[in-house]
Amino acid sequence: MPIGLQAEPSLGVPGKKRYAMVVDLRRCIGCMACVTACKAEYDVPLGVWRTTVRVKDTGVYPNTRRHFMPRLCNHCDNPPCVRNCPTEATYKHEDGFVLQRYERCIACRTCIAACPYNARHILPGNRASVKIGGVVDKCTFCDHRVAQGLLPACVQTCLGRSRIFGDLNDPDSEVAKLVATHFTVTLKPEKGTKPQVYYIRPERTTTEQAYSAPTSYAARSDAEAFYRHNKGSRFYAGVL
Amino acid sequence: MFEYTDYHIAPWGWELPLYFFLIGTAGMVYVLAAAPAVFGGAAKALEPFRRTGSATAIVLLLISTVLLIVDLGQPARFLYPILYFHWTSPVSWGALFLLLFGVCIAGFFYASMTKNDQLAKLTGIVGSLLALSMPLYTGLDLMVNQARELWANPTIPVLFVTLSVTSGTGLVALLITLSGGMSTEVTRLLRRILFFSVSVTLALFLAFWVVFMYGTGEEQEAYALVNELYGLRFWLVTLLVGILAPLAILIVPRLYDNATLVTLAGVLGAIGAYTFREVIVYAGQLPMMTY
Repeated sequence: MPIGLQAEPSLGVPGKKRYAMVVDLRRCIGCMACVTACKAEYDVPLGVWRTTVRVKDTGVYPNTRRHFMPRLCNHCDNPPCVRNCPTEATYKHEDGFVLQRYERCIACRTCIAACPYNARHILPGNRASVKIGGVVDKCTFCDHRVAQGLLPACVQTCLGRSRIFGDLNDPDSEVAKLVATHFTVTLKPEKGTKPQVYYIRPERTTTEQAYSAPTSYAARSDAEAFYRHNKGSRFYAGVL
Repeated sequence: MFEYTDYHIAPWGWELPLYFFLIGTAGMVYVLAAAPAVFGGAAKALEPFRRTGSATAIVLLLISTVLLIVDLGQPARFLYPILYFHWTSPVSWGALFLLLFGVCIAGFFYASMTKNDQLAKLTGIVGSLLALSMPLYTGLDLMVNQARELWANPTIPVLFVTLSVTSGTGLVALLITLSGGMSTEVTRLLRRILFFSVSVTLALFLAFWVVFMYGTGEEQEAYALVNELYGLRFWLVTLLVGILAPLAILIVPRLYDNATLVTLAGVLGAIGAYTFREVIVYAGQLPMMTY
């Protein structure tokens, strides 16, 4: 039985909503429009992301293939980040959203440590146009848009209709139908988090991408640049 | 072409292992300072250390508190874990116990100055339990992270308590030696405590090693990271300097009463207690970087 949550798990509970996302990997073309839309919606600073699309190339020319893996907060039904937060700054909404109260967050980073999906980040403290900074931030499933009857920004903009959003408890919703009729997987279900982002037809390469270090030259260069830039800086001193 | 990587790691830097070390040390120093009032018997030999011990614990506690607050992204909100207490978060309990521990040390110090034995016993008992909770909660803070397999290990809180016993006893031995009060009784008492704590640390170190070698993919990745990034600190400083060297000193019967060597063993053990925690905190968060 989950403990420390502000709302009980609502998946399959009659009369309750359980918002979820289905990502149809057959349709993702890696255009990054979802990442851009998310960045624009929330003025997400450089260096951090609420959502990403991971890209992996496999094979040797001419037998090659490129794989895409959109990633975001899984809005778990049993979120460990919520359980571990010392101030209840991060909390679970009764409709399934895992949200963040900026005014309460002390940026102890316990939630970042607890998240198995690397879905949280710290907002820089010196942002120019948006004054929220120095606190932990994450994907919200665009709860403010959903409350207005709109779709999340990444779903709205997805030109391949790879991202589909809706109430999983509503059997007539598109997400419920997709999950019921397709082979889907969630990431790291063994962690007991009950993640609510369902992937259709993932390939081994893309799911293992979640567990493996970057291998390409560009990715390694990117990693090394990150090390060089952050070594000894605040929040990374000692670790890198 | 490229792989999209992002590095939203849990950035717990040098402040956290140092905080864990200092607050654990403060706890054990306090336990030994309060031991004459709480236990009596053989612990009476530590009676002259009472005031120095409680004063040292206060200083360590203050440094630890500053470190903990400075580490926050929002330092001005340091009281929020108590004001918005969340019972499933070890950090909330830790913040509460840290405050109460400070009150107990101050009460014990006051009782020692005014020779109020009743108050000394009360604050000694309650304060010692709270002192134990300091390393316990820091270990729990790591253990509850099921997502990080190196930390999600029930031996971590036990290990942190044991490391604190070693570092606290080592500091007490050093302070008493420097003040010239290391009697044979005190030496024997501290040697027994150190021998027990360092032996348990060795057992837990070996357990860690086995988990590294035989564990899941993430644990094996952590082992590779430990060897690659922290090999010197893990094998040389922690195992050799911090565990095996003190054990070699403490196990020889004819050195049982040698105050200098027992103190040396304590200091070496304290160094190992720091690096062991440091490696666990750093290496535990790094396998997640590519998730």
